[in-house]
Amino acid sequence: MKSPFFSFIITICACALAAAQDNNEKDSAHQANNSSRYEAVVRIENSSLNPDYRNPWNTGRDSGGNGTGWLVSENKFLTNAHVVSNSRIIYIKKVGDAKPYRARIVHIAHDCDLAMLELEDPSAFKGVTPFEIGKLPQLDTTVKVIGYPIGGERISITSGVVSRVDFLSYSHTSVDLHLTIQIDAAINPGNSGGPVIQNGKVVGVAFQGYSGNIAQNTGYMIPTPVIRRFLKDVEDGNYDHYVDLSMSDFPLINPAQRKALGLANDGIGIMVAAAEEDGSAGGILQTGDVLLAIDGRSVKSNGLINYEGEDVNMNEIVERKFAGDVIELKIWRQNKSIDAKVTLKRFLPYLIAAKKYDEKPRYVMFSGLVFQPLDRNLMAAHGIKSLQIRYHFDSYVSADIYKDRPEIIVLTSILPDSINSYFSNFTHSIVDEVNGVKVKTLKDVHNALAKDKGDYIVISLLGNGRPIVIERAKVEAAQKRIQEKYNVINDHYLGD
Amino acid sequence: MKNFFILLSVLGISIPLWSEKLEAASVDKSVIRVNTTMQSYNLIQPWEKGASSTRIGLGAVLPEGKVLVTAQMVTDATYIELEKPDTAAKATAKVITVDYEANLALLEPINDNDFLSDRLPFELDTKLSPKDKVEAWQFEANGTPVTTQITVSKGEVRQSFIDTARFLQIQANGPVKYRSGSFTLPVAKNKKLAGLLISYSSKDQISNILPASIIEHFLKDTEDGKYTGFPNLGIMYSQTLDEQFRNYLKLDQEDGGVFVSKVIEGASAAAANIKSGDVILSINGKGIDSRGNYNDPVWGKLSFSHLVRGKAFTGDPMKIKILREGQKKEIDLKLIRRPAEDYLIDPYMFDRGPKFSIIGGLVFQELSVPFLKLFGNDWKSRAPIKMLMAHASPEMYEKEGRRKLVILTRTIPTPVTLGYERLSTLIVTKINDVPINDIQDVDKAASMPANGQHRIEFESYPKLIFLDAVLAERVNVALEKRIGITKRLK
Repeated sequence: MKSPFFSFIITICACALAAAQDNNEKDSAHQANNSSRYEAVVRIENSSLNPDYRNPWNTGRDSGGNGTGWLVSENKFLTNAHVVSNSRIIYIKKVGDAKPYRARIVHIAHDCDLAMLELEDPSAFKGVTPFEIGKLPQLDTTVKVIGYPIGGERISITSGVVSRVDFLSYSHTSVDLHLTIQIDAAINPGNSGGPVIQNGKVVGVAFQGYSGNIAQNTGYMIPTPVIRRFLKDVEDGNYDHYVDLSMSDFPLINPAQRKALGLANDGIGIMVAAAEEDGSAGGILQTGDVLLAIDGRSVKSNGLINYEGEDVNMNEIVERKFAGDVIELKIWRQNKSIDAKVTLKRFLPYLIAAKKYDEKPRYVMFSGLVFQPLDRNLMAAHGIKSLQIRYHFDSYVSADIYKDRPEIIVLTSILPDSINSYFSNFTHSIVDEVNGVKVKTLKDVHNALAKDKGDYIVISLLGNGRPIVIERAKVEAAQKRIQEKYNVINDHYLGD
Repeated sequence: MKNFFILLSVLGISIPLWSEKLEAASVDKSVIRVNTTMQSYNLIQPWEKGASSTRIGLGAVLPEGKVLVTAQMVTDATYIELEKPDTAAKATAKVITVDYEANLALLEPINDNDFLSDRLPFELDTKLSPKDKVEAWQFEANGTPVTTQITVSKGEVRQSFIDTARFLQIQANGPVKYRSGSFTLPVAKNKKLAGLLISYSSKDQISNILPASIIEHFLKDTEDGKYTGFPNLGIMYSQTLDEQFRNYLKLDQEDGGVFVSKVIEGASAAAANIKSGDVILSINGKGIDSRGNYNDPVWGKLSFSHLVRGKAFTGDPMKIKILREGQKKEIDLKLIRRPAEDYLIDPYMFDRGPKFSIIGGLVFQELSVPFLKLFGNDWKSRAPIKMLMAHASPEMYEKEGRRKLVILTRTIPTPVTLGYERLSTLIVTKINDVPINDIQDVDKAASMPANGQHRIEFESYPKLIFLDAVLAERVNVALEKRIGITKRLK
């Protein structure tokens, strides 16, 4: 399930903690002894290379951070995706062992903030028993959070009770919503990826919290249904992502609304506000339909279903499915009940609003003009305020912009040179056409600019009748000059 | 005898002329205090007005018992009072003509035609030029005249009261002290009215003056009793400084020219078939440079918009030389004015209540710039994006036949709106299957519910809601008791 809403929740990976580390050698033997039952809990140190969306030709900015992980099976460690995002080198450290062990990512699932790591040389963990995965814990039962949060190098344990089971935004991408458990144990930067234990089994992975000035004692963990789904998804060697119904719903509380739609006042059914045409339910659900049941479970007017004795969001059904799975919907349309089968798939246009990782920014630099495809990372990096761009970003899905323009190409910046000295007003515009060719992807820009035809290159911009005009004869020299001056080694990167 | 007779007849003509000759204006006899109480409507609760405030300014007495002030002085006025500085005699006044864009208004006393008969009306002096010494005229609180000399420095086309309306303004240098809270000050040159001082920066000691030439234009327009307003060309343009762009357009070195980047429907340029992509080279023979200025004999480089707004009247013909696809072309254009009320989104709203219609607690209004400005100083980034987009590109909606953009501004919690309480700032597309093109359509559609229900459709989430029509009617009656009115359609 994707959410377009901004979340105040912060991920809790201790990023770039450069604090002096307290290495008290005298205590280490004692520590090892005492903590041996925690030897399946590891400290993960990640050196990352964060892409530079402002200067996309550069390699990026070195950074790093640490989090926690735990042994889930032989030489397989689980942690949060945000602990090992944009990773260059990963080391795993064992309790009571000062030696860092080189690790690598086996699978990384940004949409549910989980990752699986393995050691290059697994021998150090021979004989260490992996954790067992438990069930969804009951409300008001005690759990323990184990990890390596800020404040020291050594393992830390906090405990608290299960406060709430909810369906919430995962702030790592900020567009994904999944089942989440709120606990009142302290979860701090560095705890990320660490196990939450009940009766000796893992019942969750600590991953985010509210910042202290918004709420107190609210830590969140990824519960076992999400963990299990991830483990099952990667069984075939690939992570295939969550699938989505790609629809928005509106609660059916108003009696007139219910009556108009021909429903009894029995609290069952939720209205379909919109279903994305290219999404799973496209062509099946339409505005004004009522969803009565999903996989045989009644949908209440507030969108909840009863699942394993709990009231949970109806998306919980979809959450546990995989790409290609089929779900059954009972739809109420024009006073008739219809049964429909929906084959589930991903809906990629939602990703425009997602924070992205492990991707090299794509761009084309031409005559000092830098063109980049619009996404959340780009919006943030360039601090874009242009109304035209904000509209396209905001309405990309809801106004079906994605159908017309799979990629919105933005002129993000200009490297000043004599060839572009009058162009500064054009930054933060959307490219409409290049030499009369409508631009739908970054590749279109690259191809259209590369064509050697005509005396002028005309780049028209959305919402501006004044095009950018470049004399072709000047381009070659300018391109060389600009690349040298600004150290742009490659003038484009279109992706792999 | 004959000669004598001629001499007599000459005298006979000249004597009455002499007696009609105006006595020169003076501060205490030609400037009058204008006290206004103003109260604007509450755009969030459009059935009521906000708190009232008062404003004190000075008006210039004109012939025939009229007083000239800035529009700013009298917008949303509930009560206007003229006060003679010397005798403190007062009379209630009313607005005869107001032009918010030009920021000018003409007042006259109500029920007291003789009130101004002991005043000395101003004549206009439209011949201001740089280095002229002019005087700002005002009084002390006790009525003592105060004149301050300032020196004209330059003319510039700038925005004054309404964001989108730019007019010639004159800058003058020198310290001016505001007395008795004056808001607008008449500026005199040789005891003639040279303009109205509309703003003053104490930091730079610069005054901005609305010049007599614009005032004269305004007054001429009022002469036939029907005010039309300043014409507009209705284009957006960009400069042509960029050499590459000039070559591409095949613009001659000696020509300047501005590139037409957008033509607004319903205004002069569109009517004359000027197109986006044309380059305007000259207007009425006056060449326009690549920055968009023409050479004014008095003020030097001035934005060419002054040739349209400041010099010409609605209905005037205009010769425009353009370059289209490399070919020079002369276009005969007749200036028209697209009135503010014809815009999809009203650029301003004064002296009238916002139009609205309530159905069972759902408050529908026509979107206006004042509404967008409720989102604060940074409304351009904080107002809902779809509405800002409609403001920036109204043609998106105009081509669907919309005259106005109707939005659900808010929802009053009532038994009918149960479950809808959080709906607000949504663009309305249809009510009871009637396309909603203005607020009148809402009222019309509200009378035709189907099967006892109102069906309301929005452009975005949640797209579709229903209201119980009978219950809504009852809620409206109850609301009317509580808030007075449930609709204002005009």
